[in-house]
Amino acid sequence: MEVPMDPLFLAWSYFRRRKFQQCSEVCAKILEDTPYDQAAWSLKTRALTEMVYIDEVDVDQEGIAEMMLDESSIAQVARPGTSLRLPGTSHGGGPTPAVRPMTHSGRPMTGFVRPSTQSGRPGTMEQAIKTPRTAHTARPVTSASGRFVRLGTASMLTNPEGPFINLSRLNLAKYAQKPNLSKTLFEYIFHHENDVKNALDLAALATEHAQFKDWWWKVQLGKCYYRLGLHREAEKQFRSALNHQEFVDTYLYLAKVYQRLDQPITALNLFKQGLDYFPGEVTLLTGIARIHEEMNNIPSATEYYKDVLKQDNTHVEAIACIGSNHFYTDQPEIALRFYRRLLQMGVYNCQLYNNLGLCCFYAQQYDMTLSSFERALSLVASDEELADVWYNLGHVAVGIGELTLAYQCFKLALANNNDHAEAYNNLAVLELRKGRIEQAKAFLQTAASLAPHMYEPHFNLSTLSDTLGDLQSSYMAAQKSEDAFPEHVDTQQILKNLRQHFSVL
Amino acid sequence: MSAAPAEMKEHAEANAKWLDAHYDPVANLYTFSPCIALADLQGDGESKLVVGDLGTGLCSMKLKVYRGTSLMSENTLLDLPTGLVSFHMDQHEPRTPAIAVASGPFIYVYKNLRPYFKFTLPSLEVNPLEQEVWSQAKEDMIDPMSLKEMLEGIRDKADIPLSVRSLKFLILDPKEMEAFVNLHKQQPIRRQTVITCISTLKKNMADEDAVSCLVIGTESKDVYILDPEAFTILSKMSLPSAPTLMDVTGQFDVEFRITVACRNGNIYVLRRESPKPKYCIELTSHPVGLVRVGKNVVVGCAQETLQGYTQKGKKLWTVYLPAPITAMGLMDHHSRGFQAVLVGLANSEVHLYRDKNLISTIKTPDVITSICFGRYGREEGTLIMTTKGGGLMVKILKRTAVFEDRDMAPGPPLAQSIRLNVPKKTKLYVDQTMRERENAVAMHRAFQMDLSRLRLAVARAYVKALESSLTPVSASLSDPLKMNAVVQGLGPSFKLTLNIQNTAVCRPVMNLAVSFLYDEALYSMRNAFFQIPLLVPGLNYPINTFVECLTDKGISDIIKVFVLREGKSAPLLTAHINMPVSEGLALN
Repeated sequence: MEVPMDPLFLAWSYFRRRKFQQCSEVCAKILEDTPYDQAAWSLKTRALTEMVYIDEVDVDQEGIAEMMLDESSIAQVARPGTSLRLPGTSHGGGPTPAVRPMTHSGRPMTGFVRPSTQSGRPGTMEQAIKTPRTAHTARPVTSASGRFVRLGTASMLTNPEGPFINLSRLNLAKYAQKPNLSKTLFEYIFHHENDVKNALDLAALATEHAQFKDWWWKVQLGKCYYRLGLHREAEKQFRSALNHQEFVDTYLYLAKVYQRLDQPITALNLFKQGLDYFPGEVTLLTGIARIHEEMNNIPSATEYYKDVLKQDNTHVEAIACIGSNHFYTDQPEIALRFYRRLLQMGVYNCQLYNNLGLCCFYAQQYDMTLSSFERALSLVASDEELADVWYNLGHVAVGIGELTLAYQCFKLALANNNDHAEAYNNLAVLELRKGRIEQAKAFLQTAASLAPHMYEPHFNLSTLSDTLGDLQSSYMAAQKSEDAFPEHVDTQQILKNLRQHFSVL
Repeated sequence: MSAAPAEMKEHAEANAKWLDAHYDPVANLYTFSPCIALADLQGDGESKLVVGDLGTGLCSMKLKVYRGTSLMSENTLLDLPTGLVSFHMDQHEPRTPAIAVASGPFIYVYKNLRPYFKFTLPSLEVNPLEQEVWSQAKEDMIDPMSLKEMLEGIRDKADIPLSVRSLKFLILDPKEMEAFVNLHKQQPIRRQTVITCISTLKKNMADEDAVSCLVIGTESKDVYILDPEAFTILSKMSLPSAPTLMDVTGQFDVEFRITVACRNGNIYVLRRESPKPKYCIELTSHPVGLVRVGKNVVVGCAQETLQGYTQKGKKLWTVYLPAPITAMGLMDHHSRGFQAVLVGLANSEVHLYRDKNLISTIKTPDVITSICFGRYGREEGTLIMTTKGGGLMVKILKRTAVFEDRDMAPGPPLAQSIRLNVPKKTKLYVDQTMRERENAVAMHRAFQMDLSRLRLAVARAYVKALESSLTPVSASLSDPLKMNAVVQGLGPSFKLTLNIQNTAVCRPVMNLAVSFLYDEALYSMRNAFFQIPLLVPGLNYPINTFVECLTDKGISDIIKVFVLREGKSAPLLTAHINMPVSEGLALN
């Protein structure tokens, strides 16, 4: 005879095995029988929350509205080295854009894609809206929409018969009195329902009930304020929570607030303060390294990533960033070691093989180069990745002098990603070698319009126009190139020549 | 305009090192570097300037002594001076040096600015045939015309050249010959040589005020060393050619070196106990200046070059000068241990070289003919120059002056010698290159095989892309087109901009149409098919259309754009537009 397991225990067991769907079904059954079973209710809220839970510490994407309609910014022109908004202020002596390519934001390419590395800070509203808004690169309007909306769609799609808890009918004051229920309820409202206003109400009532002594509620209040864009209030709550209890998460949230307020130096100090309490804490060290990287101080970022690796030698982000830094500082053989380490750790994707192939090529390990790219091609998940692999293969083909192959590769990169500005630029150079000037010019113009942050198409256009005798266009393109990369010597040279020419005429 | 500040800067730079102590453009002083010396003539601790003035030609040759800015004394010289040195003759106190002035075959020695002694070079051997001819003439056995014929015969054949008297006789007109013979026939024939250069050599001590011997070079290709007190010839050495410039170092009793630049364009080095030159430096042009710096010899050549040699004749360097050399001198600053070569140039500049590096330039108002650096008055670092126009210039080296040891002359920039910060090659790199070296053949084969496979894969993908016209760039030669698409807007309404460009050189394209392919559940378009106007080459045609997003689920999709030609089913171009998520609806 089969003895049925206690359903609540079964649900608990499912929950611990992270089988949230089964857990929530079992709980729903219990709640049908006994609607006032608080344990089951609480467990179900937790299961539903866990299904859509994302770590609030990491996920952050600045929306257009936050960026363009920024009220908290004090100085429009910050002093160099104190702001994240001036990407050009490199003070670390890292490689120039001629060596290390730039992202859309004008920052050197990083080794690890994070929300903040992907999104740049466009100069004008028009640029913000105009940037090729594909599913991958588009910037959300506000951080309240965008990713949270997309991640939160789970709740909209999975419960066709209506939400589990009807928030509008909930007596928040009553639940705030019950600490055992209120915390799970808050997390459900915040993460699952994505209803920040109700979550804030609940948190405010609960912290009042706890006589403003519970640091957890203060952190939650801070999170709500942060979501709502009330950064100063969030800062106050996090600071107060830190007074009660030193906690790594709180430090990370507070640092996020400071980064949003564009105070990277304060954030760095905060991280260092946190490291005094939690020496060797990986997340804090990573935070420091990221800020240094965003401020273009690549050498010290690398130092901190190395510290991270001393604590945690399987930290993917640190390995990838150090590897890419070695690659761009002319030590591909060391970068190869780092990427191989990633491979050994079980990271098995297109990007990694792509990087391995490039490292092999530049470290003269030719027998493994093309097989790595082949592997990368077979692991491709999206058209963008495919385009990048073709683009890199084009580079290898240029390197071995196979210009026809290179031409085909760049064309394929464009076929897979119509907005691949680098491929347009390289294709233009190849067309120019073939003597097809009109084509080359059209490609360069396209590349320049697709990626205004790159100096290469502007510079190439400038030299092309210069040789054609179109000095006016040459001058205009050279000026744009200078904006993108002020230290570029060849641009300076061409500008000097043109100015001289104009003054002589 | 840019030249003026540069000149001022140069001027300021020269001013930073030298004080203009005195300039008298009408000092009426015409001399060369060998005829100028600085000496404490009275033993009062103040150096005077002693100049052998060449005068204006044949007359008014003078020995002038300057003290401070004024002329102290003046002695008339009988003949043109060829060299002037000051030297200590004896050990008597007070230690006042004597002045030796070489002119013609004589050395006039002055002490306390009074004539003291006259040394005459030993006369040379006379051709016995010549002697006999003249003795016949003396007894009136031959007439002047036959005398002339016989002398001409001797001149052409004999080893020993004729005396000055015979040579003078030979150039006379036949009318004057009689008188000349009558005037001179009673005197014995003598053949005399002349001094070409003079220098001093310490006798047996290296002190500043030690007794020095005189060293003279003569037209007869000899070098003599004279005893300082008795003026007897201590040593005689012969050279292959007539000396013109001379530099002496060492002590007579110990070891010495005489570096002599000769008229045949060679430099010879003479040493003690060797009557013949020890080393020979063959120059490519005539030497015009000779200075010894330490153990090296710096020679100024007529080809506007300055060349450095070791003592043994090994060439070290060559510097090309902007103008011919007019004067050369050594700048030896004892208290600072600083030695350099001063070179006066015909473009009114004085360059200061340390080794091959130009370390300073002085602009002068006139061309320098003589140059001398040393102690003048009580000032140790004084530069004395006389100019072509007879001027005298005195400059004092500032005590704060610092000479940087770098080249001011144009040439390879300083940056060339800065080492670049090239990352060191790691051990890993070396190991990998070792692997590459050992398995070169296998690696090459693997690479070639992979490359062939890759070519195939690329060709397949490329053909596929071409067949379905996936690329945003048209490959066909008849319609070279290019398109890229931009999406604007936040949703639910988006604006699509297609930038279409005809990249042909001069042919327009017409009869084109655009159509869109999209999921009708997600998007709706006002018109999904329309015509494109005629495309003029080189211009960018932005074509706008509007897309409406229908879903509120926060999903996005791809919209495909095709550019079509009328009457053809396959598209010319395809572009994939990754639509952004519509946020307008999702926010509600």
